[in-house]
Amino acid sequence: MTTQANTKRTSFGATAWQMTLMGLRYLSGRKLRTTLTTLAIVFGVALIFAINLTLPGVGDAFKQTLTTISGADITITSVTGNSFVPEDVLPRVTSIAHVQSATGVLERTFTLPTLGGNALGKTAQIDLIGVDPTSAQSVRQFTMSAGRFLQVGDTNKAVFPAGIAELAPQLKVGATFPLITAGGLKIFTVVGLLAEQGSLSSPQMYVSLADAQAMFNQPGLINTIQVSLDASADKAAVQADILKTLGSDFQVATTSNAADIAVPLQAGLAVLDLLGVLALFLGAFLIFNTFRTVVIERQHDLAMLRAIGATRGQITTMIVIESLLQGIAGTVIGLILGYLMAAGLVSALAGVYASYFAGIKLGLSLTPSALGLAVILGVLTALIAGYLPARSAGRTSPLEALRPATAVSVQRTARWSLIIGVVLMVLALVMLFSGSSGAVGGALFFLIGMVIAAPGLVIPVARLFSPLLSLWFAREGDLARGNLARQPGRAAITGSTLMIGLAVLIAVTAIVSGFAGLVTNLTNASFSGDIVLIPQSIGVYNNIVGADSSLSTRLSALPETQTVASLRYADSKTEGQSLEVLGIDPNTYPKVATLDFNQGQADQAFVALGTGRNAILTPLGAAALKVSVGSDFALTTAHGTQTYHVVGVASDVLSFKINGVFISQANLATDFDKTEDVLIFMNLKPGSDKAAALADVQKITQDYPQFTAHLSGEYKDELIQTTNSAFYLFYALAILILIPAALGLLNTLTINILERTREIGVVRAVGGSRGQVRRIVTAEALLLGVFSAAMGVFAGVVMSYGFISAFSSIGWSMSFTFPLIGIIAALIVGVLLALFASILPARSAARLDIIRALQYE
Amino acid sequence: MSIVHTEALTKVYGNTDQPIYALNAVSLEVEEGEFLAIMGPSGSGKSTLLYLLGGLDRPTSGKVWLRDADMSVLNDDALSRLRRESLGFVFQFFNLVPVLTARENVAMPLILDGVGRSEALKRADEALEKVGLSERGSHRPAELSGGQQQRAALARALIAKPAVILADEPTGNLDSRASDEVVQMLRQTVDQWKQTMILVTHDPRVAAHADRIIFLKDGKIADDNRLKGQGKPEQIREQLSKMALG
Repeated sequence: MTTQANTKRTSFGATAWQMTLMGLRYLSGRKLRTTLTTLAIVFGVALIFAINLTLPGVGDAFKQTLTTISGADITITSVTGNSFVPEDVLPRVTSIAHVQSATGVLERTFTLPTLGGNALGKTAQIDLIGVDPTSAQSVRQFTMSAGRFLQVGDTNKAVFPAGIAELAPQLKVGATFPLITAGGLKIFTVVGLLAEQGSLSSPQMYVSLADAQAMFNQPGLINTIQVSLDASADKAAVQADILKTLGSDFQVATTSNAADIAVPLQAGLAVLDLLGVLALFLGAFLIFNTFRTVVIERQHDLAMLRAIGATRGQITTMIVIESLLQGIAGTVIGLILGYLMAAGLVSALAGVYASYFAGIKLGLSLTPSALGLAVILGVLTALIAGYLPARSAGRTSPLEALRPATAVSVQRTARWSLIIGVVLMVLALVMLFSGSSGAVGGALFFLIGMVIAAPGLVIPVARLFSPLLSLWFAREGDLARGNLARQPGRAAITGSTLMIGLAVLIAVTAIVSGFAGLVTNLTNASFSGDIVLIPQSIGVYNNIVGADSSLSTRLSALPETQTVASLRYADSKTEGQSLEVLGIDPNTYPKVATLDFNQGQADQAFVALGTGRNAILTPLGAAALKVSVGSDFALTTAHGTQTYHVVGVASDVLSFKINGVFISQANLATDFDKTEDVLIFMNLKPGSDKAAALADVQKITQDYPQFTAHLSGEYKDELIQTTNSAFYLFYALAILILIPAALGLLNTLTINILERTREIGVVRAVGGSRGQVRRIVTAEALLLGVFSAAMGVFAGVVMSYGFISAFSSIGWSMSFTFPLIGIIAALIVGVLLALFASILPARSAARLDIIRALQYE
Repeated sequence: MSIVHTEALTKVYGNTDQPIYALNAVSLEVEEGEFLAIMGPSGSGKSTLLYLLGGLDRPTSGKVWLRDADMSVLNDDALSRLRRESLGFVFQFFNLVPVLTARENVAMPLILDGVGRSEALKRADEALEKVGLSERGSHRPAELSGGQQQRAALARALIAKPAVILADEPTGNLDSRASDEVVQMLRQTVDQWKQTMILVTHDPRVAAHADRIIFLKDGKIADDNRLKGQGKPEQIREQLSKMALG
């Protein structure tokens, strides 16, 4: 009479399949709740996926701009990206075995000014390659489709790849066009077109080496050596030989290190990632809460299954499968939504980017890791959140099935969670105030402590607010409080989700207002001059063409001019950190722009800058090199390593977000061979007509179209506005995170009502009106909302403080202002969300059929 | 030969200072193919006895054997397996899974045992036929009457061909006509397939169909009557009220 042995345990699959089927049926039986719970996962996954879709795209955009294509076997550049004297290096390369020939090239990708029409048609940026016609052709073949290649002695002649026809069809052989150079506009003649298509994003333009050196004001210098190898060469071995021969100052076939500028941007996006994780955290709460209720609701079914022989493991599996189904569905929808969000994000960011970094094209990059991360996080969250309730479901006693439904009394003492939570919070505060390094960790710990303590806080907080509540809801308020206190765990989890959402909102407002204040202050200080000449892009200087001294000489000659000061630029690398070297004239620069000093005295520092190898580091640069005023550091220059002495730590709006070092323009010329001005400030004589002066300056910049002249005030406003608009994104994300929190609230209220159906029936049977039932639910929602908002305010203030001190520690001196607006907003949002979430449940509770409600199990 | 056998079965609730004996040293033997009704006033321990016989609860002391298996020493998984393979349950509140159809509900014990779905459903159809519900197999529990739901539950208990079926007030939630229908079905199961059946009830009309009635009082067997299905409800009722007074 036992089960037939031959069919037994033939398939675990059948059981799993049946469990899945049952899970699906249960889920579809409660569509609203399933949708709400799944949505939480959807939002978390979408956020994380969207962020990781765009993050590499941002980095790639930079790399793309900086990568150049050459037809050579091996490309050698200096580690810092600086130019060097070919005579020192070229012969050593040529002498290496298997090197067939080598040629020195001065190559630079730069953005074309868009103002005043572009002689190169649709070309946004150009990869200008100065070559020695003879040796270049020995390194690689140049097959022509029209005209000829460059010849020795060519001046102002250019060769383009065939693809240029798509961008600028007028550029046929014999055509002439103007091009920006450091010495002003020059007219070039097209002498030939290559057979190859070339790059369309930044077309190659070949000119003679001498022309290129003149254009960039770097006579006698090259920055790239292209090498061709003989047929028997082992590329990797030759690469190694080259590196050995040339030493650590050179690198082989890699892109410029300037891509590291994306680092601060990545830091910003990491904050967004954190929001995504928090959203998933909320999703986990929601799933956990739902499944805990599911287990209680389904206790009879589960107990019956146990009675007829289901093992604990089988019951647990069943509930886990159900949460897994939601996790998978949520993840799939989240991926789609995330993709759409990312597309939106990119188009929103593109505008902001364009104003800072010209020529950078953002794109979505679908990497396996972005996809994998989102999928794993989404599914795992659901799995973990479902597992705990599932395990307790497995523990259901089969005896439950034999008893009629009894009221569930779950009022566990939450004392322990309160104690643990408070201890965590205290530890978090110690971390927070002990040093900036623990600030972010402290803030997150505080949040976690708050979540843990929440169950113990429900009853006291509810008690605290109920007198207030009873003003509106005289009798119903007590019932509502009782209902909340009966399930402190559930109320706590719901409260926690909303709390996190509100805390994030507060933190975001604090960060945004701190950051906006910082940018405004820096901008005001940085543009204290009257007129500013802005290049094609500010912030990224290595892909622009500046001007040689001819421009500043002409500006100085204007009758209105009092002072002209400029910024020059070079790339460097020190101790593995990429560093942007900014050259200023210590005599003139302080007159037109202000550096905000964190360490050292401005007067002394500028004086020191004019003598010897002294440097002012940006806070980020000082932090990266771990140096402070008085210490020395080694700077890799175009001519080997030089020791610089730190005389100050300071920044302005253009340098606060970079690893940077200010040195004198004299030192920049000596150590980096750079004499190009990339940014120019002017002060006018007192009483001069600013508008007239601007008109005069603009007349001059017609010859230097890479620059646009602005009155500082106008430019400042524009810059502040652009920066602030980027922050709206953060607000949008904070609001996005509130959506799952609101769903959680709605979910809990709905579940509470389902569970109390019979009680509501009793209330109605003994004479409670529909209105009273509705008010009970509304009062309960309000209590939950106030409870969450109260906790959210605490957590939000702590988080704001933590994040701001973290930012300050990396040198962005943001001041912590008490986020009063954020707090008020959070309180209002919390209460409104609670009221909103209560509408549907309150209505359905009021509409319950009395008789059916009384019979409800 | 006895199929179920208990020895000094005792279940104590409460603390050691004030022990409450729900079941006090009950020794009982149930023969294979026997239809046993357990009766007694509320609090007499009849439900406790059934839970212990069904391996749903553990005794404080004493032993329960199902054939050769000593249930009091089995761990939870082994006990689950025993319930799945050798015991069938019928509950007062039917306890069908609301989201599954009748035949899926009936197939559940086999599916839990790892039998393939189509095979399990085929056998579920056979079991439904035995209880006369073939044509209702694809309905959900909510679409069935109380009596039909309880017959589906009986089919679920029968499907694994268990050694013993345990029924806890199977008619407690039914009107008298549905109640008769279910009791006759239980009797038929015993008669046609020699199914051992242990039933807890307080309804003398239901108990009257049993082969043997044991009366429990204060956790002890107060009386043990072998009726061979010839019991009269009036007599049983009389005996019950006598016990309640005594």
